[in-house]
Amino acid sequence: MEQYLEFNGIGKAFPGVQALKDISFRVSGGKVMALIGENGAGKSTLLKILSGDLKSDEGTVSLSGKKMDFNAPCEALDAGISVIYQERQLIPSVSVMENIFAGNLPKTKLGLYDKKELKKQAKALIDKFGLPIEPTATVGLLPVAYQQMVEIMKAYRRNSTVIAFDEPTAPLTDKEIDILFNLIAQLKEEGKVVLYVSHRMPEIFKVTDEIVVLKDGRLVKTLNTAETNEADLIKAMVGRDIGDTYSNLRRNDKYGDVLLEVNNLNTHVISDISFKLRRGEIVGFAGLVGSGRTEVARALFGADPVLSGEVKIEGKTVHFKAPKDAIDNGIALCPEDRKEQGLILWRSIKDNVCMPVLGKLKKGLFMDEKAKEELALDAVKKYSIKTTNIDKTVMELSGGNQQKVILGRWTSEKIVTKILILDEPTKGIDVGTKAEIYQMICDFAKQGIGVIFISSELTEVINVADTIIVMHNGHITGQIGRQEATEENVLAMAMLD
Amino acid sequence: MGSEKGLSKFLKSKMFTLLIILAALIIVFTVWSALLGKSFFTVDTLLSVVDLLVVTSFLAIGSGALLITGNMDLSVVSVGCVGGLFIVVAMKTWLLPWPVALIVTLVVCAAFGLINAVLVNEFNFQPFIATMATSSVFKGFQMLISWDAKTGAAQNFSYSNPFTKFLGTYELFGVIPFTVIIMIVAFIIYGVLLSKTKFGTTVYLVGGNPQAARLSGLNPKKASYILFANSAALSGFAGIVLAARTGQANQLALSSNMFTGLTAALLGGIAFGGGSGGMGGVFVGLLILNIFNKGMAIVNLDSYWAAAMQGVVLVVALSLDFSRAKKVTKIKKDTSQPEKIVETAGTGR
Repeated sequence: MEQYLEFNGIGKAFPGVQALKDISFRVSGGKVMALIGENGAGKSTLLKILSGDLKSDEGTVSLSGKKMDFNAPCEALDAGISVIYQERQLIPSVSVMENIFAGNLPKTKLGLYDKKELKKQAKALIDKFGLPIEPTATVGLLPVAYQQMVEIMKAYRRNSTVIAFDEPTAPLTDKEIDILFNLIAQLKEEGKVVLYVSHRMPEIFKVTDEIVVLKDGRLVKTLNTAETNEADLIKAMVGRDIGDTYSNLRRNDKYGDVLLEVNNLNTHVISDISFKLRRGEIVGFAGLVGSGRTEVARALFGADPVLSGEVKIEGKTVHFKAPKDAIDNGIALCPEDRKEQGLILWRSIKDNVCMPVLGKLKKGLFMDEKAKEELALDAVKKYSIKTTNIDKTVMELSGGNQQKVILGRWTSEKIVTKILILDEPTKGIDVGTKAEIYQMICDFAKQGIGVIFISSELTEVINVADTIIVMHNGHITGQIGRQEATEENVLAMAMLD
Repeated sequence: MGSEKGLSKFLKSKMFTLLIILAALIIVFTVWSALLGKSFFTVDTLLSVVDLLVVTSFLAIGSGALLITGNMDLSVVSVGCVGGLFIVVAMKTWLLPWPVALIVTLVVCAAFGLINAVLVNEFNFQPFIATMATSSVFKGFQMLISWDAKTGAAQNFSYSNPFTKFLGTYELFGVIPFTVIIMIVAFIIYGVLLSKTKFGTTVYLVGGNPQAARLSGLNPKKASYILFANSAALSGFAGIVLAARTGQANQLALSSNMFTGLTAALLGGIAFGGGSGGMGGVFVGLLILNIFNKGMAIVNLDSYWAAAMQGVVLVVALSLDFSRAKKVTKIKKDTSQPEKIVETAGTGR
């Protein structure tokens, strides 16, 4: 009997967002189906529904004609569906064979765990795939690619019918990718249903048979890989109407002299980064997650060690050992992860606003509480932060208001910010507040601040920034002005392989 | 809009909860001892309670301040013991004058604290593990300075001079022990330092989220180094005070106080994760622990019951705090719901 996986009218809403709407498609056994779309298109939500992590609001998932209704990931596993995520779900300190057979270890007649039998079975499986792995090796010590293989064997051992890969090649080297592709070919031959989520165009054309394109939670197109090309795919992924949000922005149109000059900056992650930022200019950094944008920001801010290269602020070469040095030189950073890196959630709005300028809020030996309060009240007023008082912990604020607290921190009257780095400032923020933040960014530029704006949302970078720098794999792969930038050409640079 | 002030703020504070527990304990023991025909709530009892907590208070201040940064020091007793032995050896064997002996002892202890800080900050050991290990190393150091080659064992030093006599036995107006005054002054100094100064504010912020604090220009390492050294120096001082009071210095000094300081700090509202609590809470926490022990002694409860009950009080006190934390987490969950979900929908893998 032929096996197949079918999505029928899948819909899923979260408060304020329709994450998926009316998704229907079918994947036959022995075929590899690519699932592509921009960040936020709904790929991960769909995978989570498939794996039983989330429940859909409407529609059904069926496997070979049988309706599936999962309440938990283990039920999906039992039904023969394995999703292999980027974050490996193995136990690193334990051997390969134990990981493969976790939850189903062979037992001796006495009910004890049969190590000999386990080793035999694991060896058979490893040999079947022709992999050079010892069954007794510790998983955590294997190269990343082989860890992934172990995970695939685990899925295979469970007799999974459906195996879904979530960006499997991201951490792999070219050679390792070949090993993975061989494995996928083998799965295909055995009639398994394979789903393949990836951002990388060349490999989509190499391994997949069909392609489903998602955009804003809807299925845009189902294509035959052999009958399409890269340009068409990108167009299908992007093609959306850009609203008035951007055309209504009051922008800064006068740039000043060069504020920041970066020449051949290298760290462990990024290489050869060079660019210039002028007073009043917004430089956007586009690229996929993990392309090194955040690392550029951290290196400039003195948060990560710099290996080589030159950074000049207003023509003067600077070296930062810690963020404090960068702050003293007029650089401010709103980090990517607000809660982990930006805020002290348990402390008050007041404390969070005053953090970098504590030294300027003293009265003799002691802190000047009154001055702290005034500074915090200023920020609350300036950015209309919604709160009843400034002693509230920032944990109690919404995401948008939390972001405003961080902005308030770097734009108070006690601090001179010349360069403001915003790393994903609109992440997880509702549409209305997003527009507010875009305007704030333009206002900063008007005040003569040089803004570095990092974002994974292509539309916003290319519409807010004056100059867009595109990164891929730790390198700058292109630079383009707002007038010339389109989602197509920027995406093409970001996916360059 | 503005700061929340006055009564309503106090009623919501952890300090209020602590004072209620303290009052409840006093009432329970007053009634209990009255039923047994004894009296609990007397000046004598209170003075003896305060007197009892002097030595541990220095451990608690050090551990407490360190715990605010999210660090823990299990080597306080070992270092304290070194403190007592070292100053006695310095004065008795090396014949150093007392001010020199005092300073050298405190410096040696602070250096031990810096060893902890290096392990935690430069080698990324968990504070729990680092200080457990150094605790044993410092024990070795105690052996070294108290070794008696003749008997082949660590020796007990009996020693007394005008300085130790004054420190250990002098009483102001014939009632208030000198060390109690030092303790009160220490609580005030550390309380003000933590709540009113830039350094104190930094300690709380660093403890709340070291990463965010660093990215805001603060120096989490510096705070950690200072407070590890401080915790060790204060432990050393506790050992000195104990040696002065008992006229003895040996390896067993302070040995029953491994967790007392930490317990008082936790009881006093300094959260395990760091970033909250204060010296007032630590003081009341110590009072609660000691009033409880004293009360148990007065009502003459068997010591195994006393030990078990002490655990119960701790669990009750901490669970009160926990229910508070839960409430805040609930608020957090509510406000962050839509956000988190957009993120799941938005990572787009």
